[in-house]
Amino acid sequence: MGGRDMTAQAPLLRVSNLTKTFGGVTAVSNLDFELPEGKLLGVIGPNGSGKTTLVNLITGFTRPVAGRIEFRGRDVTGWPPHRVVGEGISRTFQMVRPFYQLPAYKNLIVPLYSPRVKKLTGGRYGDRSAVALDLLEEVGFERDAYVSYKKAGALPQGYLKRLELAKAMALRPDLIILDELFSGLSLAEVASIVPIIEKLKHQGKTIIMIEHRLKELFRIADGVLVLNYGRKIAEGLAAEVMKSPAVRDAYLGSEGD
Amino acid sequence: MLLGTLIYGFVNSAILALLAMGFNLTFGISGVANFAYGAVYIFSGFSAWIFLNTLGFPYVVAVLAAILLAGLMGLAIYFGVILRIKGMPLSEVMATFGLGLAIMELFRYFDFVGFRYTLPVFFDGSLSIGDVYIDYQRIIIGLIAVGLTAALYLFTNHTRTGLALRAIAQDERSALTFGIDPDLVGGLSMAIGCALAAIAAVVILPLGTIAVEGGYEVLINALAVCIVGGLGSTVGILVASVLIGYSQTFTANYLEPHWMMLVSLIAIAIVLVVKPSGLFSHQKELEERI
Repeated sequence: MGGRDMTAQAPLLRVSNLTKTFGGVTAVSNLDFELPEGKLLGVIGPNGSGKTTLVNLITGFTRPVAGRIEFRGRDVTGWPPHRVVGEGISRTFQMVRPFYQLPAYKNLIVPLYSPRVKKLTGGRYGDRSAVALDLLEEVGFERDAYVSYKKAGALPQGYLKRLELAKAMALRPDLIILDELFSGLSLAEVASIVPIIEKLKHQGKTIIMIEHRLKELFRIADGVLVLNYGRKIAEGLAAEVMKSPAVRDAYLGSEGD
Repeated sequence: MLLGTLIYGFVNSAILALLAMGFNLTFGISGVANFAYGAVYIFSGFSAWIFLNTLGFPYVVAVLAAILLAGLMGLAIYFGVILRIKGMPLSEVMATFGLGLAIMELFRYFDFVGFRYTLPVFFDGSLSIGDVYIDYQRIIIGLIAVGLTAALYLFTNHTRTGLALRAIAQDERSALTFGIDPDLVGGLSMAIGCALAAIAAVVILPLGTIAVEGGYEVLINALAVCIVGGLGSTVGILVASVLIGYSQTFTANYLEPHWMMLVSLIAIAIVLVVKPSGLFSHQKELEERI
């Protein structure tokens, strides 16, 4: 990150020269950035600018053709997803991916059984159902309400997005990547999720948010990375970045001002 | 006649459920249609026979060894073949079907043909219900089918591994983000599926002889039950087993015994036309694919 207050510490995540092509299309091109621990980085850009590909590259769902991803100084480039998560990187999906046939709280038992959580807790987690219900309450499921026991397939979108967030939190990650968590939510719903993310930040979690809802994002982001056609076109504090002519042209220009 | 048909229909349903269980489990979890399934069934029959008669193992040891061997074979098929073509369903079907052909026809080549290839029943004898005689082996088949179904239900619903299996079956990408190794789960699902085929073999084969042709029949019956019930659905295969099982028995008793095999084929045809994803499937994409 080029932001003034973000250069002091050694980065938690370092991405260098990262490139991904699909056939003839370059989805991510020579991307470099660093993310210090405890910071929230917003990644913005028009549709098709490579944001989700970046998430998939970091989390191992797709392999880069060139470049390097380091997490805590360790090279995790090209690792499969189930190993990346063991290092402490968790993610949400833009299109929510719950286990539709399992009750909401049981969706969280699966990550609570993961090798990472087992390692962190020394195998002594106690009552996982209770932990799962607590997590659901943290993301805004009403305590003692029937909704936590409903099959995920029967939940409305707002709850599914919260469940998606809870699933990522259950892994006790150091880095959480939220891929358009706010999309499809009402203003009120977004407003109720923002404090949950702020709380995660206060707990020292490092967060990457892919987001189209710029107003809400800029309120909580420490820095912003702007992508266009897979390239970084700007990076820095939100206010500075939005002054850049290239950004206004690529991103805001398309929204018609 | 009717009481007999009802009882034997139940046994036939139990046989179908046993035959389909392993195929269904592997597909439900890892999405791999194991077309070598019938071959594994026959392989297990012959291996149990060899353990018993050639190597002289005690019965229980021979049976357990055959089941274990089938499980290992499942692992070998997954890591040796499936892993290289994972995610390409047509290749998976062709590779496993070809492998199955090779296994079965090798047995024929080495002259494993004839009436001496039979497995012993668990207990000799029979009992009568009303005026219907039924041998203990068929009763045991019914009990084992019910017992295995219950055991599988408890395993998938109340154990950590079972939960991981269900998770990856419902959403593989999400399961990956929770640190579940898809190859480990895939290999495990194949091993359990093949071991279930072996259990079915040592329980069902004592009713007749072990014949290579039986492998093709087993595959067709397993496919029929899974297609009618809906691939991957446990409730579906139970209902489909009962539907097809009783239809077969009624056909055999009231029409012509040699029309029995037609029942499965007609059931497949009807379901593919009316509801391609099967009666109980959640897998909508299958409907779109066909």
